[in-house]
Amino acid sequence: MGRAVTATPFGSTSAARRGGLSAWADLHFKWLMVAPATLLILVFSIYPLLFSLWVAFVNYDFQIPGHAFVGLQNFQQVLADPLAWSSLGVTIALSFTVVAIEFVLGLALALAMVKTFRWRGVVMSILIIPLFISPVIVGQSWALFLQRPFGPADYLLSQLLHRSVAISWIGETPWVYFSIVLADVWQWTPFMFVILLAGLAAIPPHLYEAAELDGVGALQTFRFVTLPPLAPVMLLAVTLRLLDAVKLFDVIFMLTGGGPGTATYTTSFYLYQIGFQQFHLSMATAGSWLFLILLSVVIIALVRRLLRAETP
Amino acid sequence: MARGNLARAVTIGFFIVFILVPLYWVVITSIKPANDYLTTPPVWFPAKPTAVHYTAALFSYRGLQGLINSLVIASASTVLSTVMGTMMAYSLARFRTGGNHLALWVISQRFLPPVAVILPIFLLFRAWGLYDTRIGLILAYAFMTLPLSVWMMYAYFRQLPKSLEEAALVDGLSRWQTFWMVATPLAAPGVAAAAVFVFIAVWTEFFFALILTSRYAFTLPTIFRAFLGFQGAQYGEACALATVSLAPSIVLGMLVQRHLVRGLTLGALRG
Repeated sequence: MGRAVTATPFGSTSAARRGGLSAWADLHFKWLMVAPATLLILVFSIYPLLFSLWVAFVNYDFQIPGHAFVGLQNFQQVLADPLAWSSLGVTIALSFTVVAIEFVLGLALALAMVKTFRWRGVVMSILIIPLFISPVIVGQSWALFLQRPFGPADYLLSQLLHRSVAISWIGETPWVYFSIVLADVWQWTPFMFVILLAGLAAIPPHLYEAAELDGVGALQTFRFVTLPPLAPVMLLAVTLRLLDAVKLFDVIFMLTGGGPGTATYTTSFYLYQIGFQQFHLSMATAGSWLFLILLSVVIIALVRRLLRAETP
Repeated sequence: MARGNLARAVTIGFFIVFILVPLYWVVITSIKPANDYLTTPPVWFPAKPTAVHYTAALFSYRGLQGLINSLVIASASTVLSTVMGTMMAYSLARFRTGGNHLALWVISQRFLPPVAVILPIFLLFRAWGLYDTRIGLILAYAFMTLPLSVWMMYAYFRQLPKSLEEAALVDGLSRWQTFWMVATPLAAPGVAAAAVFVFIAVWTEFFFALILTSRYAFTLPTIFRAFLGFQGAQYGEACALATVSLAPSIVLGMLVQRHLVRGLTLGALRG
C-alpha cells in the first residue's frame, strides 16, 4: 500500500518548488493534520489515565494533606467492598438483559420495516426519535410516566386488566429493574433497529425471489438467505450497544438514584458515589482502573472488528 | 402473505405507540395547569393550556442560563471537534498516517468508560482553573466527540474519489491548498452531517457536565437534578424544561436521518 501511494501525486514533493515555512508545512502535512486532534486526546485521555494510575497507588484525600504511597491498598479496598461486587453484578445482568431485548425487538421491527409502504418515511422519523433525546430526559420522562400518584401507568394498566393496579415502579424491587429496562429499551431499540435495517436492506432482493420460486419456507429463508450476510452486522450492533450499556449511569441517576437502598447501583454509579459523594478519590480511581481492565478485552475485540470493516 | 402484512402492521403500530406515549405525556404536562396533575382518569389534553411552566423553568430554575450555556458549549465544541476531526480523517484516509495504529487509537477512545477518566480530569480541571468554566467543558466535549468526527469523516473521505485532488496536486497546488480548496468542499455534506451528530452528542450529554460544572457553566441536562424525586411536585416545570431541551436535538436529528447508520456505527456501515 505504501508503495502504491508514493506512485500517485500524493507522494510526490510538490512543495519542492516552494521555499521556507510553506515548504516545511507541506513536507510535514500529514503529521500537522493529525497533530491538533492527537494533542487533545493526549491531554484529555492519556495524561489523565497516567495521572490516575498514580492516584490509585497513593492516598489522595481532600482532608488529608500529602499523598502517601499506599501500594495496592486502594485496590484491596474496592475488592473487599461487597457493594463493588453487587454493582458489577447489576451492571452485567442489566446490560445483557437490555441488549438481548433490544436485539430481538430491533430485529422484529427491522424485518417489519424493510419493505417499502406508504408513509414509511414518516414512520421511520418517529421510530428514531429516542436516539436524539438526552438519557437524563428519558429517565425523567419514565419517572414521570410510571411514578404514582402523578404517572398514568397504573391507571392505564388497571383499565387494561379490569382491576386496580398499584405498583411502586421506581421504589420497590423487582419493579424498579423492570422500569430501568423499560427506559433503556425505549431509548436504544431504535439503535439496533436502524443498524439491522441497514444490514437487511443490503441483501439483494433476487435472493429472496429465488428462494420464493424454490418454495422455501419463511423460517428456512431467514436461516439460509437472511442470516449469513446479516450475522456480521448483528455482531457489530450488539457489541457497540453492549459497550454503551455497561456504562449505564444517567437513567439510574434520574430514575432510581441507585435505590431502593443500593439495589440498582451500577458500576458507573457506584464509582461516582465513592468518588464524588464520599470523596474517596483514590478508591474510586482504583475501582475505575479495574473496570477499565475488565472492559478492555471487549473493547480491543470490537476495535479490531471495526477496523476490518474499514479495510476491505 | 396477508398474515405477514398484518404482523408487520401490528409490530410497527405497537412501536409507534410505545415511543410516542411517554413523549406525549411530557409535552402535554408542560402545558397543564397544576389542577390537572393528579386527576383520575388522567387529563390527556388540558381544557385550559398554560405557558406558566415555561416561564418558571426558564427563570426560576435558571433554565435560560442553562440553555445559553448549552448552545455556546455545544456550538464551540462542535466547531473544534469537526475541524480537528476532518483534518485528522483526511490525513488518515489519504496518507494512512500512523498506519492502522493511529486510527485504532482514536476509535478506542470512544469506548473508554467516562467514569475511568472523569476523576483525574476533575482533579486536573481544579488545578488548571478550568473547573466550572465553559472553555473547560468545550475542550472536554471536543475530546469526547473526536472519535465520532474522525471516524465519520474517515469513512467519508475513503469513498470520495481521489482524482480531483490528484489533478490539483499536479497543477501545482500545495497539499494545504488541495485539502482546503478541493477536498473540503467536496466533503461538505459529510462535514455537515458529522457536525450535527457531534452537536447532538454534546447537547444531550450529562455525565461530564454533572461533574465538571456547578454554579456557572452548567448545561441544560444538569438542571434536571433539581427535579429529582419531585418532592415539590414541579411536574410542569420539569416537563417544560424537557421539551425545551429535546425539541432542538430531534429537529437536528431529522435533518441527518440519511446519515444515521454512519453516525451510529462510526462509519463502519454505510446504510
